[in-house]
Parts: sequence; structure tokens; C-alpha cells
Amino acid sequence: MIRFILVQNRQGKTRLEKWYQTYTEQERLKLKAEVHRTVASRDQKHQSNFVEFHNHRVVYRRYAGLFFCFCIDTNDNELAYLEAIHLFVEVLDSYHGNVCELDLVFNFYRVYQVLDEMILAGEIQETSRSVILGRLDQLDKLE
Amino acid sequence: MNPLFFSPPHSPGILASPTSFRLRMFEKSLTDLIQGLRANKRNESEYISKSLEEIQNESAAIDKLNYLHMLGYDMNWANFNVVEVMSSAKFSEKRAGYLAASQSFNQDTDVLMLATNLIRKDLASTNFMEIATAELAMDLFDDVLAILGHSRPYIRKKAIACLYKMTLKHPEGLHDFVPQLKERLDDPDPSVVSSAVSVICELAHTNPRNYLPLAPKLYHLLNSSNNNWMLIKIVKLFASLTPIEPRLAKKLHGPLSSLICTTTAMSLLYECINTAVVGDIISVPLPVTDSIGREIDFAELCAHKLEVFYDSSDHNLRYVGLVTLAELQVRRPDLVVNQYETILRCLDDPDMGIRMRALQVISGMATRRNLSQIVKRLMSQLILSNTIALKPGNTEGGPDEDELESTPLIDPSGVSLVSAKGSFTTPKKAASSSEPNAADNPEYRLAAVEAIIDMCSRQSYANMTNFEWYVAVLVDLVYIAGVDVGQLLSQRILDVTVRVRQVREYSVRMMRQLLSDVRLTDFVSGESPHAAVLSTAAYILGEYCTLVPASCDDIGLLLFPCLRQLTSDQQAAFVLAAMKVYTNWLQDVSGYWNDEVWELVRSTNTTTMDSITSLFLGQEGDDLDVVVAELPLQVEGLLRSFIEITKAVSVATSNMSASEPPVCRELHSLFTMYELNPVSAAAQGKVPVPDGLDLDSWIGDEIPDTSLRVLPPPPPPRQTRAPAQRNYASKDHKANRKDQPLGMLPDVDSIPVMQLDLGDLATARPKPRKSDKPKKKKKSKSSKRHKKPTPEPSPPMVPVDIVGDEDMPDIPTKPLNDTPAQQPGSISGDTDNAGAEQPASPPQQH
Repeated sequence: MIRFILVQNRQGKTRLEKWYQTYTEQERLKLKAEVHRTVASRDQKHQSNFVEFHNHRVVYRRYAGLFFCFCIDTNDNELAYLEAIHLFVEVLDSYHGNVCELDLVFNFYRVYQVLDEMILAGEIQETSRSVILGRLDQLDKLE
Repeated sequence: MNPLFFSPPHSPGILASPTSFRLRMFEKSLTDLIQGLRANKRNESEYISKSLEEIQNESAAIDKLNYLHMLGYDMNWANFNVVEVMSSAKFSEKRAGYLAASQSFNQDTDVLMLATNLIRKDLASTNFMEIATAELAMDLFDDVLAILGHSRPYIRKKAIACLYKMTLKHPEGLHDFVPQLKERLDDPDPSVVSSAVSVICELAHTNPRNYLPLAPKLYHLLNSSNNNWMLIKIVKLFASLTPIEPRLAKKLHGPLSSLICTTTAMSLLYECINTAVVGDIISVPLPVTDSIGREIDFAELCAHKLEVFYDSSDHNLRYVGLVTLAELQVRRPDLVVNQYETILRCLDDPDMGIRMRALQVISGMATRRNLSQIVKRLMSQLILSNTIALKPGNTEGGPDEDELESTPLIDPSGVSLVSAKGSFTTPKKAASSSEPNAADNPEYRLAAVEAIIDMCSRQSYANMTNFEWYVAVLVDLVYIAGVDVGQLLSQRILDVTVRVRQVREYSVRMMRQLLSDVRLTDFVSGESPHAAVLSTAAYILGEYCTLVPASCDDIGLLLFPCLRQLTSDQQAAFVLAAMKVYTNWLQDVSGYWNDEVWELVRSTNTTTMDSITSLFLGQEGDDLDVVVAELPLQVEGLLRSFIEITKAVSVATSNMSASEPPVCRELHSLFTMYELNPVSAAAQGKVPVPDGLDLDSWIGDEIPDTSLRVLPPPPPPRQTRAPAQRNYASKDHKANRKDQPLGMLPDVDSIPVMQLDLGDLATARPKPRKSDKPKKKKKSKSSKRHKKPTPEPSPPMVPVDIVGDEDMPDIPTKPLNDTPAQQPGSISGDTDNAGAEQPASPPQQH
């Protein structure tokens, strides 16, 4: 199960955070800083996308200047979550049309929408891109 | 995948979306806020406080607050507003409110009750979108959800969402939930099914038995579905189920093997192999036809496929491959052994996770034959990083000793390995100095050192063919380790020296070398990593000094200038060793007594007295008694003895005599009369306590527990016979001693002494023995002397006598009375042996 999801840029600013377990404010801050420290210093070419982190693992993927990090349990299939990250980014891309970091900044509530369609309570809920996008369209029409 | 790039602030998306006028208005403000923030990078705090004020006056500015919250500003004061917004009729506002709630609420938020009711209402509504937003906030209200439990089963429309809510930690709710979950597995909608599967997977992790009846359905799904995500989950689920139902393994064997052979998705392949290994399906002996029609063993198939993973150039695959390989190794080591070369290569990987895993696998693979090779490889890695032993945190680029103010440790690149012995090939330097050298990571170094030690000492040194080489390895590790493993190494050196007779002589020589190395002794202090090693070296030198030709330089080595910087235990070890070495040398030199020897003895004696004086007493002429109060207890006792010894020798050699003074000849027998053999740590516990002896009752009148704790509190009642409470190395015992301020030593005479009728046995004295090296557990602490029983038959092919734990005598073989006459206790003071013989009352059988 996913414990938390963070999207951070290279300077350490968090663009998106979703916590699937209860953490206090201080813990959250600490975790964000730690994840950034661990992930930003890794070398893409020579190191894997999985980091051991406390008793869990962080699966991360870097897209341009943003790090998408999922913190998962040790018994989870990391390769599957790597794919999940990619799926999420692809959905964001289709939804926004050529998404960039500023899109995430200005439309953060939409990003959360997308995220909640895909992942709920720490589990991957919906994996079909077309279904997700269809539902998002419906939501948009309501506004 | 389109790369993310910079786009102008007003991206068309925002304004183009069909929003209500009101929303657009405050969206603009949101955009403004964000823009303003970005523009005012320098005056951020001002700007933010200004905007916070504005927000307080706005009613629907939840989104802005949300944004600010993401940046780290507290928005708790707005909680009530958030709930207000949540309750609004307009869906988009409601959604914004929910988002804010899910981001910032936690269990302690006061408005939770309000929110709870709100959510309940929403859940009952018919608009499924509202239900969707209700779920957003669900994650956080752990306790509160129990109330809502009973309303949930009625909701059918968005089945997926319902299922997930239930997963959240509600054991009571689970009862109702599980049957419905099972129904959902038959749902026509595939996404419902897959989410049901995910939920079951999570639940089965903690409690697999409940979900065993679902196995047939899941099996059916496994065979019929194409959805890789779902398959992964199902496979993982089965991994939790097979341990409790072995017949499942046989059934799964077929579909799993076909999946493994046919699937192209790496993640699914990995999951199948992992399940096969962890769920023990590889133990099913049925053969499998692989892709080209051959019949091979299922386990071999898995191992073969796994090779693809850890042999690949993709680091991700390598990492997961190694994880599963470690699991496979536990169950089927034979399959892993021939991958030796590949794993060795993985040891050099720049990724720390991969290295650690490879280390784990390699150390499991160590055998007699490849042990030295593996150890050499690991040590060459430790050497390569030639800056780690200097100031930590330094990047590589050569040691710059002038710039470092910290204690200079050893520069490992300048050390030639003792254990190298010519067959060592110079390791290749790291390809380019700009690559981060993973050996700089202290965690890795520690793991490597521990792995080396573990491999070598596994199963009482079953893999060891050449103990001298092992001692050399340990000594080298002292130099190149770079991390604080001093304690570990010193224990290991001690272990191997004490248990393996044949290597003792070599060990003594190496210890001498260590002690004479000024790089180690010049700046050492009590906390430095080398202190532990040095004190062990001193102990070994003292204890086995009879095995090597005696030299009076050793005394100088042991009473080295920085001795006072060490902890009191370590100082005591050194002083004791110095005594042993000195008396041994005296005895040795007395063998060929003549004028020159007499001169030599006199001068050495004087030098030794001077060293003691300068080290411990400060100025010349100080009386020991004056200074003694400042010395630690253990050292004080030993020091008194040493000073007496030197005084006796100086008296005896004051006049030139034709033959050696008997003092010189006999002093060594203080320490060498009997050989003390190691005793199993459990031996003390097996000493039967005679009837009628209650070791937990007070010896005399019970001393009231005043606030001035003069004596340590009585030991807790014994639960087991373990010697732990008698173990003077135990932490509480040491702590007790430390707590006792020296100035409050009890008046010894006022403690009533009671005769103990102990029968044949003299149990160990409760009074702490100052002269014992506290950390040695194997040395006999009781006053018994007994001969060691016949040595354990040596391990095959190695004519070495190792004392294994199982052969150490558990029960003393000879009672006290049978031992020969007591030591010449003529030397005053508490020397080691003289004090040990405490004859109890004459033996009386009960």
C-alpha cells in the first residue's frame, strides 16, 4: 500500500502531497525534507529508482524538474508502482495537454482530482486511462 | 512522454475551462496570489501575511488557503470556514472544501464532529459525485469512521469507493464488509473486481486465513484475466495464502509457470518469481516445460529467469532481482552458488541498495574455498576510498591532512595489507574521481566489515582454513575500516585468540606490532575507535607473553604516554598486562644471571618505576596514598601491586649478587601458575545451589534504603539460572559501580560477615573483582581451577584446536579442595591470584 505521494521539484518545493497515513505536521515536514534529500542526490544513470527509506521504500521517477515519489511498503512490487507513476503522469499530460510544472502549481486542485480518481486510500484504484479521463470530463462538466 | 517545459503563467487551460462566474472570480485571485507570491520572492513573508489578512475577510477563499498550506503555512484557524464550504450546495465549492479538509485535518481537529455529520449526509445523497468527494476526506477520520460504518453498506453506486473506505482499519466493520467484498468479486465491472482484489490483498496480508475460501474464485480470475495490474495483485495475494495451505502451491504451479514463461511484462514476471520463491511454490517437484519445450525443474526455471534481472544493465531490475535472489538463497542455496561471479560484479555497483543486497547474497555464499577471495575483494573496496578514515564528510580527492583538525586516523591508502601476502593484486581505482564512490558510505563500510567477520566466524569458524590469515585480516581492518568498529574487532580478535591455541603466538606478535604503531597510540583517547582494540591487544600481550621471547621493550609499549587518556577499564588492562610482561621478563632474564643482567634489571626497574610515577602520580616523590583518591578503582589496586613489585625488585637487586634473587625468578608465578581456560558462559548457571542456601536473602541485617545509597541495591530475584546477574560485565553492574561516588565507600568493617556453608563449591564472590578485565565473559570468574577436558575434535582438514561453546565445561570438574597449595600471597595488596583464593568455611555437606 502507498503511504504517501510527493511531487517535488529539484529545489525541494513540494508541488503535491497526499498522505495515506496519519502523520503530524512536524512529521510531514520532516518526511518531505528527508525524501527530497534522499532522492535529489541520486544519479539517474547509475542508480536504481528505488530507495530504502526508514522501513519502507520510496519509488521515484524524475520528469524534467519534478520528482514523483511514492512511498510504499517493502513487500510491494516496485516495478508495478513505477508503472503507476508513469500512468499518473500520462493521465495528467492528457488532461492538461502537454503539462508542465506551472500547470501543477496553478491547478493544483485539479491535480488532486486526478490523483483521487486513480489512487484511493493507498491502493491503485483505476488503471484504465480512458475510464479516468472520461470521469474527469464528467466532473468538469459539473462545474 | 512529453517533456515538461516552462509555459507562460496564463496558460490557456485555466480561463478556458467552463467555470461559474463566481468561481472564476476567485480563481483569478488564486492565480493572482500565486503570481504575486512568485514575483515577490524576496518579500515572501510580508506578502503572505498581507494575503492572510485578506483571506480572513473573504469567505470563499479556501483554495488560496490550500495553496498556502501546501507551502507550509498553518491554516487551522480556518477550520470552521472549511466545514462551511464543505456544506455548500455548489459541488465545486464543496469539492474545494473537501480537499482542504483532507489536506489539513487530522484526528485532533475540533470541527471533526461537524464534518462527520456532513459526510454522513453526503454519503446518503443520490449524487454520486458527492460521494466521491466524501471519500477524499475519509482517510483521516480513522476513529470517527466507526460511527459511519453502518451507513456504508447501503451505498452501492460507486462500489469501488465503498470498498476502499472499508479497508481503513475498522475491525468491527470488517465483519459486515467481507461478505460483500466477496460478492464484488463477481461484479461484471472489471474495475470493481480489480479493486476488490486489491483490497483483499491488503487484508490477506494481516489475516490470510479468512480469505482462503476465496481461493477458487481468485484462481479463476488468475487464469482468465488480462489485466496485468490485477494479475500482480492476485499473484501477491496467493503468496500470502500458500504458506497456510500447501495444496494451493501444487495448483498454482501450473498457471504461475505458464505466466512466467509467456509474460512480457517485467513487473508481472517479477511478482510471479517472487511469489514462487517466497510462497515456497518452488518446492513443488513437478517439472515444467519451458519455452523451448524442455522439461526442467520449476525452481531452476525461476532461477534462470531471475538471472535476467540481476544481470541486466537496468539498475531497477538489478535491485529487485537481488532482493528475490536473497530470498531464493535462503531456500535453495544450490541454485544461487553458481552466480558467484555476477554477484561479485554487483558489489561494485554505485547504487547503495544494490551493493547492500549483493553483500547479503555474497556473504551467504561463502564457503571454505572462496572465502579468502571474497574477503579480499571486500577489503580492496574499503581501501579504495582513501579519504574515509580521515575527517568524515570529505569528498574524495586525496587526503589533505593539513586542513583537517580532527584526530588524524590512519590513511588506509598508505597501508600495505598484512594479509595480502603477495597474492594480492592491486585493485583498480574507481573509474573517475567524479563518480560518487559508494565505499565512502559509512553504512556500507560497516556492513562490509560485519559481513567479513560474519563469514569468517560462522559456525565456529567452519570456513576457516588459516587462522593466522584471519588474525591478519582483523588487524588490517583496524587500519582500513574507517568506521567505528573497534569494539567489534577487539572482541573478534580476543575470541579467536582465546579459542584457537595454535594461533596465539602469531596473535601476540601482531598485537605487539599494533601497540608499537605510534599512529594508533599517539592520539588515542577513551572514545577513539582504536582504544578498544589497543586494550585488547594489551590484554593478549600480557596473557600470552610466555609464548614469545620476552623483551623489556614491551613494558615501555604498554606504559605509553597517552595511557591516562583511556577509560579506567582500559587503563587497568594495560597496567595488568604490564605487570604480567614485567614479571615474565624478569623470570626469563633470571635464567642467565650475571653482572650485565643485574645492571639491566636495575635500570629497567628504575625506568618502569619512573613510567608509573610519571603516568599516574604526577610529580616525583608524591606518595601513592595522596594521589590515589583520584585514580579509578580498578587502576588503583593494580597500581599498588605494581609499585610493590618494583619496590621488591629494587630491594632485591640493591646489591650485586652472584645468583639471581629469588624474587625475580618467582614473581612470574603470580600470573602463570595455572592456565585459566575459557569456560562456557552458561557454566555458572549450571552450578547447583546447595539446599538451604538462599542467595537472595540479606547476609546480615537488612540495610535501610536511605537516600544516601551507600551500597548498591540488592539484586532482583533470580528467574533463571543464567549467570547474567553474576556477570560483572553486565551494564547494571557497571552502572552501579559508577553511581557509587568514591568518597562514599562503605566502611567495610561495619558490614556483618556471615559464614556461608557452601559444601564443595565456592560460588563467586559478590564483591567486584577489580583486577578482572570486565568484558571477558569466557574467563572463569569463580575461584575454581580445573583442567580443561579433552579438546574438541578439530574441524575436518584443519588441524587446529578450537574451543567451541558446546565443549566448554559447563560444570566444574574439580572442587576447590583438590587444588594444590595456595599462591604465595606474600605480596601485599590485592593481586589477581592472591585475592582469588577465598577459602570458604570447611566443606560441609548439607
